[in-house]
Amino acid sequence: MRIGIDTGGTFTDFVVFDPESKHIETFKVLSTPQDPAAAILEGLGRPEGQSARDLVHGSTVATNALLERKGARTALVTTAGFRDVLHIGRQNRPALYDFFADPPAPLVPRQHRLEVAERIDYRGEVVTPLDKAAIEALIAHCRTHEIEAVAVSTLFAFANPAHEQAIAERFRAAGFPVSASHDILPEFREYERTSTTVVNAYVSPVMGRYLGRLETALPADRLQVMQSNGGMIGPQQAASEAVRCILSGPAGGLVGAQAVAAAAGFDKVLTFDMGGTSTDVALIDGAPRSTSDASIGGLPVNVPMLSIHTVGSGGGSIAFRDPGGGLQVGPQSAGADPGPACYGRGELPTVTDANLLLGRIRPELFFGGQMALDTARAERAFNGLAAELGIPPEEAHLGVFQIVNAHMARALRVISVQQGQDPRDYTLLAFGGAGGLHAVELARELGMPRVLVPRQAATLSALGMLLADATKDYSRTVMLPGATEFTDVQAAIAPLIAQGQADLAAEGFAAGEIRIEASADIRYAGQSFELNIAFGESLLADFHAAHQAAYGYQDPQAQVEIVNLRVRAIGLVEAPQLPTFTKTKVNLEEALIGRYPVRFAEGEVETPFYAGERLGTGAAFQGPAIVVRADTTILVGAQDRAEVDEYLNLQISVGPA
Amino acid sequence: MKTDLVRLEIFKHLFASIPEEMGAVLQRASFSPNIKERRDFSCALFDAQGEMIAQAAHIPVHLGAMPLSVQAAIRALEFAEGDMVILNDPYQGGTHLPDITLIAPIFHAGDLVGFAANRAHHADVGGMAPGSMPIAHELVQEGLILPPTKLYAGGELQQGVWDIILRNTRSPWERAGDLRAQVAANRRGVERFAALIAAQGLETVQHYSAALLAYTERMTRTLIAAIPDGAYRFEDYLDGDGVEERPIKIAVAIEIKGDQATVDFAGSDPQAKGSVNAVYAITLSTVYYVFRCLVDSEVPNNTGSLRAIQVLAPEGSVVNARPPAPVAGGNVETSQRIVDVLLGALAAALPERIPAASQGTMNNTLIGGWDPARQRPYTYYETIGGGMGARPGADGPSAIHSHMTNTLNTPAEAMEYAYPIRVTRYEIREDSGGAGEFRGGDGLRRDLLLLADATASLLSERRSGQPYGLAGGEPGRSGRNLLLRGGDEIELPSKGEVELKAGDVLSIRTPGGGGWGRAPK
Repeated sequence: MRIGIDTGGTFTDFVVFDPESKHIETFKVLSTPQDPAAAILEGLGRPEGQSARDLVHGSTVATNALLERKGARTALVTTAGFRDVLHIGRQNRPALYDFFADPPAPLVPRQHRLEVAERIDYRGEVVTPLDKAAIEALIAHCRTHEIEAVAVSTLFAFANPAHEQAIAERFRAAGFPVSASHDILPEFREYERTSTTVVNAYVSPVMGRYLGRLETALPADRLQVMQSNGGMIGPQQAASEAVRCILSGPAGGLVGAQAVAAAAGFDKVLTFDMGGTSTDVALIDGAPRSTSDASIGGLPVNVPMLSIHTVGSGGGSIAFRDPGGGLQVGPQSAGADPGPACYGRGELPTVTDANLLLGRIRPELFFGGQMALDTARAERAFNGLAAELGIPPEEAHLGVFQIVNAHMARALRVISVQQGQDPRDYTLLAFGGAGGLHAVELARELGMPRVLVPRQAATLSALGMLLADATKDYSRTVMLPGATEFTDVQAAIAPLIAQGQADLAAEGFAAGEIRIEASADIRYAGQSFELNIAFGESLLADFHAAHQAAYGYQDPQAQVEIVNLRVRAIGLVEAPQLPTFTKTKVNLEEALIGRYPVRFAEGEVETPFYAGERLGTGAAFQGPAIVVRADTTILVGAQDRAEVDEYLNLQISVGPA
Repeated sequence: MKTDLVRLEIFKHLFASIPEEMGAVLQRASFSPNIKERRDFSCALFDAQGEMIAQAAHIPVHLGAMPLSVQAAIRALEFAEGDMVILNDPYQGGTHLPDITLIAPIFHAGDLVGFAANRAHHADVGGMAPGSMPIAHELVQEGLILPPTKLYAGGELQQGVWDIILRNTRSPWERAGDLRAQVAANRRGVERFAALIAAQGLETVQHYSAALLAYTERMTRTLIAAIPDGAYRFEDYLDGDGVEERPIKIAVAIEIKGDQATVDFAGSDPQAKGSVNAVYAITLSTVYYVFRCLVDSEVPNNTGSLRAIQVLAPEGSVVNARPPAPVAGGNVETSQRIVDVLLGALAAALPERIPAASQGTMNNTLIGGWDPARQRPYTYYETIGGGMGARPGADGPSAIHSHMTNTLNTPAEAMEYAYPIRVTRYEIREDSGGAGEFRGGDGLRRDLLLLADATASLLSERRSGQPYGLAGGEPGRSGRNLLLRGGDEIELPSKGEVELKAGDVLSIRTPGGGGWGRAPK
């Protein structure tokens, strides 16, 4: 039995796969934010039989510890003269035109940023030997101040880890959990490496306690944890390298999206996950893109993670009139508390209120009818806004809907057009609670031909966890000249490959179940941004071609630098096939809930509302229509045609504007 | 055409995404650490008249100056499809020579409909000293001067122009890479604007670009109307110009009348012999910046805001220099002091919204010479953060760039890979921020060990003067430039050139910000 488990803000989702029967089952349990393990244990409560279960978990524990600043009391040990690197960062301020914006405070206050005399240069040669005797005083400081975790990051430790290793050894011997930068991120640029290492030290003890509790409570099961890179790792590694799990849940969503789209026959997909306060978008071109320069809560976290772009607009975004008389939406959000005006506590008009007043959400159908919506309250909120703007309220309802779509369209352009990808070649895959109401209009705006709303739209992350392989990332800055003999480059990457194979073998993967993906970050000498190129003998030629494709020019005569070598070791697991359903004779009338007036830009139209769970494979209809599911609502425009495919996904062919 | 409020907001996003995308291209494709790591560049989109429709939030000092570049190109040249204009002449649309601007006209159905432009700071454009910010007496000593000139004509590279530029710099391979990146960024801007017109129609695009300019103007006028009518004055001093040891005065009177502001720099000193002279574009940029900070953060970055503000700067003064005055420091140092006097004046009008003086300098550090390990000449350029002024209600942040720049530092590890320079210390300069109810931010200390002989140029400020406090707060501490040689500590001037030997340490200590409110006893 394999089970994917995703902890969300409201629900903890479970997707259960039985490899014998190939059957997939899905269920939800209310989340328990104070103690996320409680919901998981409740969901797993009744083991079927006594056989061990394989659990793959997407956890928000590391994310929340970082964002809410509830991590371990951490100290940093670094090269003498450089303890403030963590504070200074890249010396830039977060907002250009705001005197009052502050950069995020460092996770380690100055008093616990400790220095030790030592220095290694860029060739890895020792310039100043390590002052080993001084380490004891630092350990005493950490004991006095009840430090719970130690990060060690010294200059050029990736080129020669001897000093870091010696420091780490002493601290470990003294009983401290240690994160060393040459282990966590052996790459150049001291601020980013130090920040990533410190984040790891800060969140790992919290993650360790959490996973320890789960393992104790589930002694018979095998637990794996989803990483931000879309693969899973074992609990020991997750507990000591928790920084790799910061985007655990969203990464599961992308893996799930890729699988659902691929099964349905689409390999180029823009994902669109619209929640209450923010929206995540990502590009999948065969596979999701990865990044090694992400930042979370304003702090660099440069371990590889799936590339996800987040914007601060969602269903709860508040609409208001600005001093120039313009209508704006967000970034302020009503969040879950007080929530949109129609939830009964808030006073301010939000995107969700606009959807309600446009008739796209029916109060009696919302969340399966379990949540009453106050239409009159939403109306009052919008009447106030419309009066301020001097426009009819109806115009404000539609306007808010269109403006939030403009925010979303800009986010989708950032991940497609700005990366040289044409959205017209892509399918828009919508999931998350609020996405279905906006997807077709957004696709139309970007010229995208199709919208796909997966059957599992509400449990896509947990599904993705079920589908994830075991994945381990290794990297090292080598800074080799491009003229280096290929055999020497091979020799440099060989230890990383061997390490990956050994680590997966130790976790029980046979040689035939292990796949190695090797690559190199390459640039023209003097550049400071690298392109990631798949490893092979044509490395340099491939780099020139990739540079041409990305930036419109290449210079085969110029000097080239091989900056970082990267290896991803993948342990393949048996992934479940998504179940298919045969076409049955569909009687649309049976799925019809009713016909209600819905407002569009062209005017009000009597629109059929269908119950999603009653639409079987082969059901097809022309818009306008609204499909109501327990956890999401999907709008089909008058120009669009919708069809339920064999996986019970809703596929919408988007008509022209 | 009637302006629809919803479409207005939508067009704001459509226009803004174009320079953003140009910036992504420029940053990724450029060569020099200065552009790529430090992001010392800006991208913008203009209408056919040279009014700026949108600018990506990059470098404030480029903001008000870019429109003057486009207008200078319009005055100087006739355009055809596929042209690309290059310029850096401070007296014809530029600001100082290292900032090279590329401007691409955009055509639709044979008509000129707008411009894409970007500006990037090049680490060297020739002249007396590596980095092209020497202690000069006239502009021609500062480097290669490019009046508005076509680098591409009808899509064809003008090889002669290209060769002349590269022959006049100390690092031609790097310049070539950066210039190609600038070309690629503008091409992207041209493509995207043309696609927008194809999708929305020219008339609609023009209508909404004009409407957004008017919208920003309304936002700015609303802000000004909320400031009590009156004339607000302030003056402050530059340490000197690096040639004559005497403070240089900058004075301002901001007159608020209803929703109109007049900013008059009468009373400022005549232009200096050294390079601290600001051309008018710089002065305009600083005014734009200060008012932009006071308006809501969501307002589009366009030139509509300047319609509500008249900026008067006496010709031949340090805030509106005339040829042949050298100008390298006007952009990077004097601009910061102009902000200080503008904020000093506005503090009387808006006491709850104005911070005390920030470090008031960019601490420009330029080092150049021969790299024995890599067997080639090199030029290193960096600006260094410092203390920000305390705000009413909050301490000032430490070790950060303030006001007219926001460039990133060069990582110590990136430095060693690129130059014969080893960073030996990089830390917060404790207790350099001014005391007060709210403390000014602390400055920085950055120590650079030279591994080979080299020449350094320093262009810094607040080495004798101090960033002022407000509401009874103490001033921040002055910065210091030190040469550590053997056991000696040699005080270096705020501006000047110095010959460095292998083993020397150049130690830059940057100023703290001023405090706000009286310190508790």
